[in-house]
Amino acid sequence: MSGTKPDILWAPHQVDRFVVCDSELSLYHVESTVNSELKAGSLRLSEDSAATLLSINSDTPYMKCVAWYLNYDPECLLAVGQANGRVVLTSLGQDHNSKFKDLIGKEFVPKHARQCNTLAWNPLDNNWLAAGLDKHRADFSVLIWDICSKYTPDIVAMEKVRLSAGEAETTLLVTKPLYELGQNDACLSLCWLPRDQKLLLAGMHRNLAIFDLRNTSQKMFVNTKAVQGVTVDPYFHDRVASFYEGQVAIWDLRKFEKPVLTLTEQPKPLTKVAWCPTRTGLLATLTRDSNIIRLYDMQHTPTPIGDETEPTIIERSVQPCDNYIASFAWHPTSQNRMIVVTPNRTMSDFTVFERISLAWSPITSLMWACGRHLYECAEEESDNSLEKDIATKMRLRALSRYGLDTEQVWRNHILAGNEDPQLKSLWYTLHFMKQYTEDMDQKSPGNKGSLVYAGIKSIVKSSLGMVESSKHNWSGLDKQTDIQNLNEERILALQLCGWIKKGTDVDVGPFLNSLVQEGEWERAAAVALFNLDIRQAIQILNEGASSDKGDLNLNVVAMALSGYTDEKNSLWREMCSTLRLQLNNPYLCVMFAFLTSEAGSYDGVLYENKVAVRDRVAFACKFLSDSQLNRYIEKLTNEMKEAGNLEGILLTGLTKDGVDLMESYVDRTGDVQTASYCMLQGSPLDVLKDERVQYWIENYRNLLDAWRFWHKRAEFDIHRSKLDPSSKPLAQVFVSCNFCGKSISYSCSSVPHQGRGFSQYGVSGSPTKSKVTSCPGCRKPLPRCALCLINMGTPVSSCPGGSKSDEKVDLSKDKKLAQFNNWFTWCHNCRHGGHAGHMLSWFRDHAECPVSACTCKCMQLDTTGNLVPAETVQP
Amino acid sequence: MFVARSIAADHKDLIHDVSFDFHGRRMATCSSDQSVKVLVSGVGIPWLVVGSVWAGPWLSCSQRLLVGLVGIFFFFPFLRRRAPDVMNLSQWSLQHEVSCKLSCSCISWNPSSSRAHSPMIAVGSDDSSPNAMAKVQIFEYNENTRKYAKAETLMTVTDPVHDIAFAPNLGRSFHILAIATKDVRIFTLKPVRKELTSSGGPTKFEIHIVAQFDNHNSQVWRVSWNITGTVLASSGDDGCVRLWKANYMDNWKCTGILKGNGSPVNGNSQQGNSTPSLGSTIPNLQNSLNGSSASR
Repeated sequence: MSGTKPDILWAPHQVDRFVVCDSELSLYHVESTVNSELKAGSLRLSEDSAATLLSINSDTPYMKCVAWYLNYDPECLLAVGQANGRVVLTSLGQDHNSKFKDLIGKEFVPKHARQCNTLAWNPLDNNWLAAGLDKHRADFSVLIWDICSKYTPDIVAMEKVRLSAGEAETTLLVTKPLYELGQNDACLSLCWLPRDQKLLLAGMHRNLAIFDLRNTSQKMFVNTKAVQGVTVDPYFHDRVASFYEGQVAIWDLRKFEKPVLTLTEQPKPLTKVAWCPTRTGLLATLTRDSNIIRLYDMQHTPTPIGDETEPTIIERSVQPCDNYIASFAWHPTSQNRMIVVTPNRTMSDFTVFERISLAWSPITSLMWACGRHLYECAEEESDNSLEKDIATKMRLRALSRYGLDTEQVWRNHILAGNEDPQLKSLWYTLHFMKQYTEDMDQKSPGNKGSLVYAGIKSIVKSSLGMVESSKHNWSGLDKQTDIQNLNEERILALQLCGWIKKGTDVDVGPFLNSLVQEGEWERAAAVALFNLDIRQAIQILNEGASSDKGDLNLNVVAMALSGYTDEKNSLWREMCSTLRLQLNNPYLCVMFAFLTSEAGSYDGVLYENKVAVRDRVAFACKFLSDSQLNRYIEKLTNEMKEAGNLEGILLTGLTKDGVDLMESYVDRTGDVQTASYCMLQGSPLDVLKDERVQYWIENYRNLLDAWRFWHKRAEFDIHRSKLDPSSKPLAQVFVSCNFCGKSISYSCSSVPHQGRGFSQYGVSGSPTKSKVTSCPGCRKPLPRCALCLINMGTPVSSCPGGSKSDEKVDLSKDKKLAQFNNWFTWCHNCRHGGHAGHMLSWFRDHAECPVSACTCKCMQLDTTGNLVPAETVQP
Repeated sequence: MFVARSIAADHKDLIHDVSFDFHGRRMATCSSDQSVKVLVSGVGIPWLVVGSVWAGPWLSCSQRLLVGLVGIFFFFPFLRRRAPDVMNLSQWSLQHEVSCKLSCSCISWNPSSSRAHSPMIAVGSDDSSPNAMAKVQIFEYNENTRKYAKAETLMTVTDPVHDIAFAPNLGRSFHILAIATKDVRIFTLKPVRKELTSSGGPTKFEIHIVAQFDNHNSQVWRVSWNITGTVLASSGDDGCVRLWKANYMDNWKCTGILKGNGSPVNGNSQQGNSTPSLGSTIPNLQNSLNGSSASR
C-alpha cells in the first residue's frame, strides 16, 4: 500500500474484525449499536454499527499488499508483501503465547529485490502462500512459499553478511520457495483455484495463466490485457473475473479461449473487483475517484457450451458514502454486507439490499421476498377505520351484508360501519325514495313513482305553473318573511330531504324531535329557525346545553339568538354578521346568516358547503322562487357531480346524472360496492343498462369471487335479478336421458301440457316428494345413484353419518332452500354420479369414485370443489 | 399501520418473484435455488409449503417469472401466446408480436376487463442507448386491424424503467399506471371520449402525472397494486418497502414504510408524510406529455 491509498480486509474467521492498511496496519473491532450508545473513542460506521481500534502495527514499512492467514488464529496473522519483494508474516495480536508465535516475524525473501504485487493463501493447504512479483530479467515472478519450512542455515549466513541485520531476525529468513513459476514474466494478480489445491491462476504480463503445480513445466494460458485482480466466483468455481483499465472480463475456465462476457466499460480505470461471498453471482466493482460501487447481478448459470442468448445482467450502483472510495471488502458471512474505506480513512459499513419483489394478495395483505426470506404484511385491525383502505372496508361490509337490507334501506349505512356521512346521506336518500315511490304508487298507480327515483332536480323541473310566495308570520316575533307556497313537487322534495313526513302535513315537528334525540342540537335549531320558529330554536339550544353530551356554549348562542332585532343598522346585526364566521358549527353559522340576510338573498345559507345538502335543498325549496330554485339546484348538482359527493344523489336520483356522479365517486374512492348496490335500489332499467353500471356490478362480483365470498355473491346475484331479470343466468347444465337423449327438463318445458314441471323431478328441488323415476320423453328409467342404487328422481334417504356436516346444518336451517341432497350430480371425467348428498358424504372419506373398479379421483379433479368459501370461517 | 411477519418458504437462495392465485389462497415463489415452491394458507392457518418443483437451471435466467396456478401449474414463457386447445397446455402459438424498438425490461397488462376499452399493454425499457429517450410505451389492441399498435409514449420518463404496473380498474373512468424508475411515479390515463377523436385510430389519452416520489432515494425496483388499485407498494435499493395511497383530494402520500426484513423504520414514520404531495404541485405536465393535448 502506498501511503495514500488504504485497503481494507475483513478477518476470515473473526467476523467482527477488520484491518485497514496504508502505511501501517490497524485492527478494528465492529460492534452493533442497536441497543447501546456509541462508546467513547469508537467510530460510527453506520446507523447501527461502530468500530473500535484494537491495535496498530507499524513494523512493516513499504507495504504493497496484505493477505489474511486463512486458518483460524486469535493473533490475526497477516502476510505483508513489500516493495522489495519480501513477504513478512506479522500479527496484530497481543498474546505472544499462541501456537503461531513461531511464524510471526518470518520473512520470505526472493533472489532479486522487486515489488511484490499480490499475495494469495492457498485455501486448501493453509501453509502455502503464493506471491506475485514484478519482472526481473529471467527470474521467476510467482513464488510459492511454505510458511512452515525451516530455513536453510547456509543461506541465512550469507544473508547475515549481506544485510547485517540483528540475530533474532535473521534466524527467521526463508529464501527457498516451494515452487518457482512464471519465468521471465511479471505477475500482477493471483488466485488459487478451489477445484484443486495445486492449481493457481495468475494474471501475468499480457496473459492469464493457470499453473499446475503437479507439472510446473506446463501452463495453460490465454493472451489478454485483462490480467488484473483475478478472482474466482465462490459459487461457480469455473467462473473468474479479471479487469483491465475500465473493463471487467468474465471467464469460464472450461472455455478459456476468450472471455464469456465483458461488462460495460467504465470511463475511469477500475481498482477492485470482488465477488460477493454470501450470494450467488454478485460482483462488485470500484473505479478510481468514485463514490459509487457498481454491482453486477448475474443470475444465470454459466454453461461451457456457447449459448447464443446473452445472459441477463442487472447493473446496479450503490453509494455508501459521499467521499471517494479507496477500497471495499465484502463481509465473509453477513449477507451482502460490505465495508468501505475512503482515502482519509473514514469507514462505513453497509448492506447491499436485495431487490425486493412484491405481490399483493387479494385479501389485502402484501407479500414480499427479500433475499431468501418471505414476509407477509397486513393492515392492522385495530386501526382507525377512516384510514383503512377501501379494499378492507368493502370486505368487511360484504361480510356484514351491507346493501342487502331492502326493507329498512337507511340501515345499510349502519351495516357499512356508520362512519361515513356521505354513505349515511346516500342510504337515507334511497330509503326516502323507496318509501315515497311506494306511497305514490298506492295513491295513483303508474303515475309519478319513477319520478321519485329521478331525484329532486327532475322533480323540481317537472313542476308546472308558477309557485307564488306569501308572507308568513314568525312565531314569537313580530316579523314576516316571504315563503313559497308549497306545491306537490316541493312537498315531495321536502319529504325526500327528510324534513317532513308522509302525508300532506307540512309539520317539521317529528323531524326536529328525531334530530334532538340524536343530539344534533345545532341542526335542529337551524331547521326550526328556517321554519320561522325562533322560540323553538332557542328552546332546542337550551335543551342541548343542559343535556349530558351537549355543549354549554349553546346557551350563549341561544342568548345571542334571543337578542334578534329586525332593525337594519342595529349593533346586533353588525356584530352577528362579522362574528358568525368564527363559529365552528356550520349550522350555527347559517342561522345567523339567515337572520342577518337581506330579504330574498340567502347565499350565506345556500352556499355554506359544510351544511348537509339535504338541508340546503330543503331550505331552497322553502325560500327560493321557481327560477332561482332551478338555477340553484342545477348549480349544486354540477358541483356534486364534479366532487363525486354521494349527498348529491338526492338531487340527481338514479338517473344518468346519478351515474355520472357515482362515476366520479368511484374515480375518487374505488368503492364499486356502494356504486353497485346504490344503482340496484329500484333503478329504472335504462340506468342499469349503462355500461358503467354493468362494469361496476361485474367487477364487484369478481371481487366477491376473488375473496371466495360465494354465498355473498349468490345473494348479490339474487338481489340483482329482482331488479334486472335479464341478468338471471341461463341454465348451464341439463340432465338428458340416457336412452332418448332428450333433456328431462327440456322435454317438460317444451311440451308443458304433456309432461310435468321440471321441478317435480327433484332436480330443482321442489318440496313435493316426487316419485317420478323415468324419463318423461321415452319413459325409460332414470339412472341409478352409484351409492344407494335407487333410480334418480327419488328423494334421498337420510345420509348416514352426514348429519354433522355443514350442508346438513345449512339445509335444516332453511327448509325452503332447494333440497340439494336430491340433486343429480356426476363426475365430468368418469361420468359416474348420483344424489348430491350421497356423493358429498362419500367424498368426505374417499378419494376415488364410489363405482367399483373406477379409479377416477373425481373430487380432486374438481378444482373448485376443494375450495372453501371464505365466509363460512369468517366471524 | 402495517405490520409484517416472516414466512418460512425454505428457499436456499434468493427469491426472485412471488405470485398469488386468484383467490389469494395459494402462492408461488421462484428462487435462484432453481426451484418453484407453492405455499397454501387458510384463514388463521399460516403459510405452508405444499409443493416444490425443481425447475431447472433455466429458471434462474428469468428474473421475473409469471407463474400461473390452475390446479397444476405451468409457466407462461411468453406473454403474447395463447394455448389454442385448453386441454393441451403444452402447445402455445404466437398470437401477436409487438415491436417496441427498445430493449424491454418490464411489461404490464391493463387488468381492466371493461368492454369500453380495448386491451392495453404498457412496456417499460431500461435501454441505455442515448437515442432511446422515452422509456414507457403503451400499446393498444385495435379491433379493426387486429393488431397491437402504439397508443401513447410517456415522454417524461427518460430514466431506465425497472417495473411498470397498471392498477386494477374496478370501475374508474381512467387508468392508473405506476412506474418504477429512479423514483416512483403514478400516471393517470383518461381515455378521451371516442366521439371527440376520429374513429378507428388508437384511443387518445389525457395523461397526467399525479405523483412522483423520490423517498426511496435510490432506484425503485418493483411496484405492485392491491386488488382495488388503491394502495401501491414499491420497493427500492434503500431496502425498504413503501406503501402509497391517495386521499380524498387525490393527493398521494406515503402511508407506511417497512424495512426489507419486516421491521418498521425507526423514528421516521412521519418522514413519509412530510415529503409527499408532489402530486399537487406538478399537475399539468400532460401538455408536453401528450401529443393530443386535449384540454379538459
